[in-house]
Amino acid sequence: MGYFIDSLKAMATTFRQIFRKPATYEYPEVIRPRAERLRASFALPDDENGELACIACMACEKICPSQIIHIKSEGKRESPVTGKKRQYADTFVLDLTACIGCELCVQVCNSNAIYMVREQEVPGFEREDLVLNLERLRANAKSKTAAWAKGTVLQEMQELPKAEKKPAAEKKPAPEKKPAADATAAPPGDEKPAPEKKPVAEKKETPAPAAPADATPAAAAPAEAAPAAEAKAAAKPDAEAKPDGEAKPKEAEPAKAEGAKSDAAKEASA
Amino acid sequence: MNPATQSALIHGAVYGTIVCLAVLTSIAMGIWFERKFAGRMQSRIGPTYTGPVGLLQPVADVVKLLQKEDIIPRDADHALFNLAPPLAAIFSLAAAAVVPFSAKVISADLDVGVVYILGVGGLMVVPTFMAGWSSNNKFALLGGMRAIAQSVSYGVPLVLATMVPVVLAGSLSVSGIVDWQATHHWFAVWPILPGLPAFLLFYLAMLAESNRIPFDIPEAESELVAGITTEYTGAKFTLFYMAEYVHTMVGSAVAAALFFGGWDGPFAPGLHWMVLKTLLIFVSVYWVRWSLVRFRSDQLMDLCWKRLTPLGLGLVFLAAAFVQYWPGGAR
Repeated sequence: MGYFIDSLKAMATTFRQIFRKPATYEYPEVIRPRAERLRASFALPDDENGELACIACMACEKICPSQIIHIKSEGKRESPVTGKKRQYADTFVLDLTACIGCELCVQVCNSNAIYMVREQEVPGFEREDLVLNLERLRANAKSKTAAWAKGTVLQEMQELPKAEKKPAAEKKPAPEKKPAADATAAPPGDEKPAPEKKPVAEKKETPAPAAPADATPAAAAPAEAAPAAEAKAAAKPDAEAKPDGEAKPKEAEPAKAEGAKSDAAKEASA
Repeated sequence: MNPATQSALIHGAVYGTIVCLAVLTSIAMGIWFERKFAGRMQSRIGPTYTGPVGLLQPVADVVKLLQKEDIIPRDADHALFNLAPPLAAIFSLAAAAVVPFSAKVISADLDVGVVYILGVGGLMVVPTFMAGWSSNNKFALLGGMRAIAQSVSYGVPLVLATMVPVVLAGSLSVSGIVDWQATHHWFAVWPILPGLPAFLLFYLAMLAESNRIPFDIPEAESELVAGITTEYTGAKFTLFYMAEYVHTMVGSAVAAALFFGGWDGPFAPGLHWMVLKTLLIFVSVYWVRWSLVRFRSDQLMDLCWKRLTPLGLGLVFLAAAFVQYWPGGAR
């Protein structure tokens, strides 16, 4: 009986469904609204002079995880438009059949010379139909709408925050130092007022540095919190130290950021 | 051959051909309708590209199936393997012979029409098991075994459900039962107690006999590949596919005749009413099919022997009591 009632409920559900609007889009005739960041295919745009923007730096070829980009260049030559010497991609082959759509090639392109487009390629009958060559990629740039991302846009997003976002920038490296032996150096580094404070805090609270030094790495974290709080408290009376302190981190930070950037670049290229 | 037999044969041949063609055509359109219907139930739109609103989809289906290579497994029993599909189609269509589509449109007005329908319907298990056995395939054999268990079991409630209108109308002829309903009342409406449950019982047993979801155990796609039709391709598969639909369609027509007064209805000629009722029941089979899930094999037997069979016995008893004791119930 329970099954019978449940069956009737199931049938009522399917019956109600009949009067709902179908979710189907009849694709070739009706195209579903495409997402702003939809990544379907590729395009190689022209630069402002009407030439191919790609300078065959091979960054995309190197980073491509599926190794589907193959660029050949016959070296630098004079541009017929500007007269300057530059490099051109003479063949550019992108095998879309094996593309995983990771968009890394777009991300590494410093000259915004490759981007992804939102319209799919027309399905083909042969595998070669989905291998894009230079002509087809350039045609895509004219006929298809670009996805949201360009190389420089993505690179800006990946950049470490600038100087005005000091605290965020400084906190990042700090936790990495935690397990290191110089745990005492970390807490003062967390503070806004900067290196000046470090000696002050250490001098005032002699027992504090001793404790974390004895502690195991696991115990270091809670121990660290205490000196940090103490250092904060200590910072208040030392207001005069600030002007000196502010000048120094400004110099130090860009250097740090650059170092981090080059690290990131190394990782990416590896 | 005496003239009476001769005219009966000619009558049967002419009307039989018409009925067969009508049933097969409506099956084809039924397949189109089922696709659309199922589509709407699942927030889809069903076929659209084959002809206007996909109306030519059944034609495309058949053409596709007939184009396929006819494969006979090397170790199959060739004679049985080839015989099973046409037998299935014949048995399923044969039951349509005694169904009165109107007061006049009936291929053979047998006195024992109900018995004939049950007999021919019961024969369906033979080609099913032939297919299962001769395929020399374990899935097909399992499907065939299940088909026997299911058909034999569900034959019992089917017969019991059919007995209710027979007892109430006092006739074994399908047209006789429809006539009685036309002059009195439809059995699904009055007497409602044995009538309506008997219809539901008949409906369930009919689903089981024609192997439709939720009783498609012999096919059991997710368990047995395709059950008895595993080794069949092309035209032979088409015949099985068709037989299943014909069986359902004829079963719907019998249900309409036995419980809903057949061709009886106001305003329009009888044929219209009969077709309307048949198609409504036929569509409800689709509705059930796309709503419910399959029974497990043992649940199926449980339902049959522990629930439906006692229920059927009780309904027959009630029908007899109604005829005997209800004032005016006696015919």
